[in-house]
Amino acid sequence: MNTMLKVEGVHTYIGQYHILQGVNFEAKEGEVSVLLGRNGAGKTTTLKTILGLTPATKGCITFKGQEITKKPTHVIANSGIGYVPEDQGIFATLTVEENMKVAMRNEDEVTMRKQDYVLDLFPDLKTFWKKDGGLLSGGQKQMLAMARAFVGNSQLLLIDEPSKGLAPIVIEKVMEAIIDMKKQTTIVLVEQNFMMASRIGDTYTLLDDGETVHSGMMQDLIQDEQIKRKYLGIG
Amino acid sequence: MELLLNLTINGLATGMLIFLLAAGLTLIFGLMDVLNFAHGGLFAWGAYSSVWFYSLTESFVIAILGAILTGIILGFITEKLIIKPVYGNHVQQILITLGFMLVLTEMLKVVFGPNQIAAKTPPYFVGSWEFGDVIIIKYRVFIIIVGFLVFGIFQYILKKTKIGLIVRAGVMNKEMVKTLGININNVFLYVFIAGAVLASLGGALMAPYSGVIYAEMGMEFAILGFIVVVIGGMGSFPGSLLAAVLVGLTGSYMAYYVPSLSLAVNMMIMAIVLIFRPQGLFRVKG
Amino acid sequence: MTTKYQWNNIFLTIIVIVLFIFPFVTDSRTWTILLTQIFIFSILAMSYDILLGYTGIVSFGHAMFFGIGAYTTAVMLDRVEPTVGVFILSIATGMVIAGIISFIVGLLTLRLKSHFYAMLTLALSGLFLVLAEKWRSLTSGNDGFTFRAPEVFKDRMVFYLVVLVCLVVVYILLRRFVQSPLGHVLVAVRENEQRTKSLGYKVLHYKVIASIVAGVVASLAGALYAISLRFVNTSVLTMDITLDALLMTIIGGVGTLIGPIIGAGVIELSQHYLSGLAKDYPIFERWIIFFGILYILAVIFFPSGIVGTIRQAFHKRKKPRVVEEKPSNSKGES
Ligand SMILES: Nc1ncnc2c1ncn2[C@@H]1O[C@H](COP(=O)(O)OP(=O)(O)OP(=O)(O)O)[C@@H](O)[C@H]1O
Ligand SMILES: [Mg+2]
Repeated sequence: MNTMLKVEGVHTYIGQYHILQGVNFEAKEGEVSVLLGRNGAGKTTTLKTILGLTPATKGCITFKGQEITKKPTHVIANSGIGYVPEDQGIFATLTVEENMKVAMRNEDEVTMRKQDYVLDLFPDLKTFWKKDGGLLSGGQKQMLAMARAFVGNSQLLLIDEPSKGLAPIVIEKVMEAIIDMKKQTTIVLVEQNFMMASRIGDTYTLLDDGETVHSGMMQDLIQDEQIKRKYLGIG
Repeated sequence: MELLLNLTINGLATGMLIFLLAAGLTLIFGLMDVLNFAHGGLFAWGAYSSVWFYSLTESFVIAILGAILTGIILGFITEKLIIKPVYGNHVQQILITLGFMLVLTEMLKVVFGPNQIAAKTPPYFVGSWEFGDVIIIKYRVFIIIVGFLVFGIFQYILKKTKIGLIVRAGVMNKEMVKTLGININNVFLYVFIAGAVLASLGGALMAPYSGVIYAEMGMEFAILGFIVVVIGGMGSFPGSLLAAVLVGLTGSYMAYYVPSLSLAVNMMIMAIVLIFRPQGLFRVKG
Repeated sequence: MTTKYQWNNIFLTIIVIVLFIFPFVTDSRTWTILLTQIFIFSILAMSYDILLGYTGIVSFGHAMFFGIGAYTTAVMLDRVEPTVGVFILSIATGMVIAGIISFIVGLLTLRLKSHFYAMLTLALSGLFLVLAEKWRSLTSGNDGFTFRAPEVFKDRMVFYLVVLVCLVVVYILLRRFVQSPLGHVLVAVRENEQRTKSLGYKVLHYKVIASIVAGVVASLAGALYAISLRFVNTSVLTMDITLDALLMTIIGGVGTLIGPIIGAGVIELSQHYLSGLAKDYPIFERWIIFFGILYILAVIFFPSGIVGTIRQAFHKRKKPRVVEEKPSNSKGES
């Protein structure tokens, strides 16, 4: 399978703090690649660096064979990357419909088909179509954020901890949605919930202290008690 | 009764002029996090350029269009040269926009001379309507109508168009807007120019209303604009209309009953709002 | 490091001595008056530097405190009697009033974000101006009033020396203040307010202290200014005064104390010459426009002003050596 996204030797500073100190990983087309690591390991910062929100000072990021390391955020996004941030980034005083509309590059048939698809996936959004985004429940906000990133014609979705703060039953729903979306896009997923990560991830990359320490197939990690205990505190 | 009505119309008209200035201020602040201390300069330039165009052509329409053109040009220059280089640094922004205010004001004196200039009301707005005892001055009504019209148009743009949607989204969360593939720098520029146009339109309408224009009018009105923006809530467009009307009316009533306190009362309102409800009456940001 | 510091001190001392001797060797009235003016505005600009340069606060209401000092001294000399005793008492009174007002204002407003604070101080000083214009029985409004200064100050030279002494004393005291532990906290607030707060400092307290110090010193400048003119009107409360302080501080160099003094010199001198040129070239009537442009350029390109830029250039030349030394050291260790 083709490599969709490649992150090589990336270093990132925020202010004077050296946050990322050598991150490497790859996302292959049609797969779900999971970023793992304890709190503060640099998972969110890695996603932000890919998007140019906290630009890399060293290293190279390529997407579909094109280097995007130093490009401005909107150019990176328009080349086909969608983002679901940790806090979901819902526009509170915009309705669900308007939230979706902001993300649409145009309103052609392809986009509308994508919209129909996500609305089937998350029927809740259809119910609250005219409701302000700020009034949605946590789970609904998560769904809206994912739907919104998806209709932006993105070939790659970066999803940051979708299970955070959600009830198990909602997590189940979100997880199924991701498995379904995987048929249409490539996904990079940050996930602390190992049960979820292990069920939907194809490959994993393990970050610690802003550095890639391990990567490989998810199946192998499931077997590897030692790594799991050392870096994730489980197993 | 007539007195009260007249004071009210007067206050509403003043309120609309302040609104035109404050609307840009509040949008620019909400979206770009920039408090533009030079905004009053754009207002004064609008006033001067409209008087200049009017003296040249005797056409009020051309005078207004001339002021709008001035607003576009100055807005463009200000955003590119003054705001952009210090984007994200609040202290520098405050310092530089105030410096630019100084330059704009002094430039007016260089170009148009340091003295007050008389501004004429176009013939068709001179005079008043009389209903029994009630005398309503035509030009004030015109200002009020324009004010509401501008509010309506902008409200429509903000609510119903894609660019308006993006602006409202940007006020809440700029980073997210960028990650949705939108070049927010362009949006900043458009919003800044729109704000400048509103301010210069306000200045142009102000000129015949007060009868004279002078360079310092920019700062005087800007202070009222700041008061309005604070009371209405930074970034809230409807909030600024409401607060502007409030400030205009307060000013008008106080100017009649206790003239020495009219500005003081408005500042008092602002101080109270800032101290007890710093987000303003209308809260915009999450 | 110590030697450099000592050299600086020796250099400053020489300049001060020259300035003290100056009026004895020349009898140019123009220069004596001009230098007196520069010293007064140096004091004002230094007080502003405590806010802007050391604490990172932008106040647009500094004229308030300058005006309080000017009016207190003018009114007391006028109403009581023009003696040195009353003069000193009036300065003290002005400082106390300025201190109390800056304390109250600071406590109420300094918790606001920079934008709001700048705006509120702008509005408040506007309010003071209106108040002074309306309270005619005390201030005579915009027309102002002349008053008699103490007899000794009739001699321009004596007044020159008094102002120079004030400048030196204020400089030394403020220098001590910014180098004290308290001053270091202020700088920490400027650098990173959030972090200072999380280290457990009550940021608001420190900001209020800075604003009181600045207010008190500004009122001294105002008092001296009133005496120098033997006249006061509401212009001492206008935005122009704040703008002057701002320009001098920015152009001279924020956060350096010496910078504002140099800024005051540069601006007063060029103002003097530019308005002289106005006779031949009317554009110079609007000399302030040049400062406006200069100021904008300074904010964008030389945010650290004359002194700061020179210091940086000085440090840049020294830095490479430090960098070179390090690798050789670590090699030696390993
Ligand atoms: N704006 C910032 N300024 C300073 N440090 C920051 C900033 N943002 C993040 N950091 C630091 O960078 C490190 C990595 O943060 P990041 O948010 O990427 O971690 P994470 O792996 O996503 O953690 P979590 O699982 O808690 O979300 C942390 O130590 C954090 O404190
Ligand atoms: Mg995170």
